[in-house]
Amino acid sequence: MKKKSFIVIWLMVPFCIFSCVNLKSVSNFSATSTASISNFENLDYTFSDHCKDRCEDEAVRKFELSRALECSCDLYSKADSVTRVLYQTINGYFVGLGNLAQNELTNYSANAAVNAMTASEFGPLKIDENLVGAYSAISNTLLRATTDFYRKRKIAAYIGEANGPIQVLLDKFQIIILSNLKGELRFKRERLYVYYMDMKMNRTLLSDYEKGKATRDYYQALDDIQLKEKQMDVFAQGLQEIGRGHQALYENRDKLSVKNLALTMLDYSAQVEVLISEFNQLNH
Amino acid sequence: MANLTSEQANKLSDDFFYLATAIVDFRYENWDRLTLEENLELSELQGSILRCGEDILAFSTTLVMDEVAESLAKISSITVEIKDTIRTLTSVQKALDTAAGILILGVAIMQRDPGAIGNSIKDLFATWKGPVA
Repeated sequence: MKKKSFIVIWLMVPFCIFSCVNLKSVSNFSATSTASISNFENLDYTFSDHCKDRCEDEAVRKFELSRALECSCDLYSKADSVTRVLYQTINGYFVGLGNLAQNELTNYSANAAVNAMTASEFGPLKIDENLVGAYSAISNTLLRATTDFYRKRKIAAYIGEANGPIQVLLDKFQIIILSNLKGELRFKRERLYVYYMDMKMNRTLLSDYEKGKATRDYYQALDDIQLKEKQMDVFAQGLQEIGRGHQALYENRDKLSVKNLALTMLDYSAQVEVLISEFNQLNH
Repeated sequence: MANLTSEQANKLSDDFFYLATAIVDFRYENWDRLTLEENLELSELQGSILRCGEDILAFSTTLVMDEVAESLAKISSITVEIKDTIRTLTSVQKALDTAAGILILGVAIMQRDPGAIGNSIKDLFATWKGPVA
């Protein structure tokens, strides 16, 4: 019986080799991309925030007091909705791709069948333990070989189909963050400059202390804006790297288990991770 | 504005920004020459131009939606397909568990054990009807 098990295990070797499909590069890259894209939630500045800030700034400038600040921000809410749809769609895709590429997905277990075969309550029907072990190993390997091959084929097809549209979405998402949302901050900066400059030109501030305080306040507010701008820059750079990484996956989609691709993807993942770390540092 | 692209809108916003800063600089450079009314009027004008530039940027973002509609639809449908594939793969585990249940049932039948047959059928039914992990 032992000899039989040995032969069975030897027969299994080719399947083992075929089953070793390395989707780790896809899985790791997707996970890093998702972490980077999710930093959108930590930007902590939206179009609606900008609209409310503007409303407040104008009330301060005109010294207008009302029981509740009323701002018309419908257009800005719409801009936020569009940005959110882009964010969720891109994020959803990378989460899905990552889930499909992770090995745990096909870590099927034939334990239930093995337990059934070795259960003592089956009385006279005794199955040799070595044979049961061999059965278990073969069934797991065969399952893995077929499902991993299927997964690899599917992932390659999805990457092929998705590359064009995902590049468009990543590109537009970058433009929205860098040109539009960050662009709004440029206007905020200008409004701030005018507010303090008017104070200076009108000689509103008399004491040295007031002047010093106003100057400090101005530069502090400017620093806060610049920090937000820097966060947006880093976030957008992350999107750009993700786009490049996906392009590399697309160009190599037919050799997803090749070692060179794993190294290339490691490089893209590392670059995105550096940007995530830079973003986190700015956020603290 | 119907055929305006987001890129054109961004360019317009830039123009409004530079126009507003030009007025700001003019105001400060000619502060003593301007009457109070002129100064106020310029200040209001520059404020309105800044607001307009900001609004255009927000508007430009909404225009992006039309430009990416096709890509959005495509990625959304691919994501649904990926989820379906994942569901198919996880249901393999269910098939395995079901197969194990059938094996237990088979052995119980071979042993002509009514109690074990009843339990096996019950377990098998629960496995089959259970949610896909």
